[in-house]
Amino acid sequence: MQQGSGSETEVTWEDQQNINKFGRLNNRFHELEEEIKAAKEANESLEDAGNELILSDEDVVRFQIGEVFAHMPREDVESRLEKMKEDADKELERLQEERESVVSQMAALKKILYGKFKDSINLEED
Amino acid sequence: MASSSPAPYERRGIPGASFVEDVQSYLAHSGLDVNSSLAFLQERLQQYKIVEMKLLAQQRDLQAKIPDIGKCLDIAATLQVKKGTGEALVADFEVSEGIYSRTRIEDTNSVCLWLGANVMLEYSLEEAEALLRKNLDNAKASLEVLAADLQFLRDQMTITQVTIARVYNWDVHQRRSKQVALET
Repeated sequence: MQQGSGSETEVTWEDQQNINKFGRLNNRFHELEEEIKAAKEANESLEDAGNELILSDEDVVRFQIGEVFAHMPREDVESRLEKMKEDADKELERLQEERESVVSQMAALKKILYGKFKDSINLEED
Repeated sequence: MASSSPAPYERRGIPGASFVEDVQSYLAHSGLDVNSSLAFLQERLQQYKIVEMKLLAQQRDLQAKIPDIGKCLDIAATLQVKKGTGEALVADFEVSEGIYSRTRIEDTNSVCLWLGANVMLEYSLEEAEALLRKNLDNAKASLEVLAADLQFLRDQMTITQVTIARVYNWDVHQRRSKQVALET
């Protein structure tokens, strides 16, 4: 909150809670941006893996489980990859939905807080 | 998290920041002048920041641990599936950086789990899976508690920052009013 010109707008406990909530949402927003970035990268890797699999015509594929590369028959790898892609897509969707909800809650709080405090409060990313 | 009473409380060692209803009575009640009050609040803020760093470090550690446990569970599950088929699991593993070797893991009933502190224990596949799942659940639960701690801490930091701004503004306002009174 910037140190203002000495205006006397009173800050109530409700205002304080709104400010706290905005702070928490902002933190969650940044966390979500990071998580979405990671989820998108994971999705891309799975795409690439799927494409490589189609291009190669080996019957036995080295598939990473944990820290080792297990030899697995091609069909097993295909179905595992499919499942992983499904899970990754669902996860990305979930994260993006949460992000949208956070953004709209933040917009609503901005309206309330700027409405009451106008110039005395700064809620922008610096 | 709307509550009607702003009573301060503490959470697992983190002191709560009391919400100031009215700056004038806050200063009168504490008996401090503006500068001492601001100094006290700034110091509190610094202490909160130190705790925040500590919690963030713990959070990073836990967040790294969880996928590791997941990988172990993957392997245990794969071995479980292979069990009874009579087939061996053939895998390529890293002997040293850049050097890989091939291994055949025959049908097996047990695995060894690294428990830390240079201790490795042999478990049956079922016991191993159960232990790993328990560790995963514990790690996830700890992460949740940590996230709640961080939320509480950040709320206290925000309250303190707002109080600092309000005390400062009140002081500026007081000086201005006195100035105006002197000039009239």
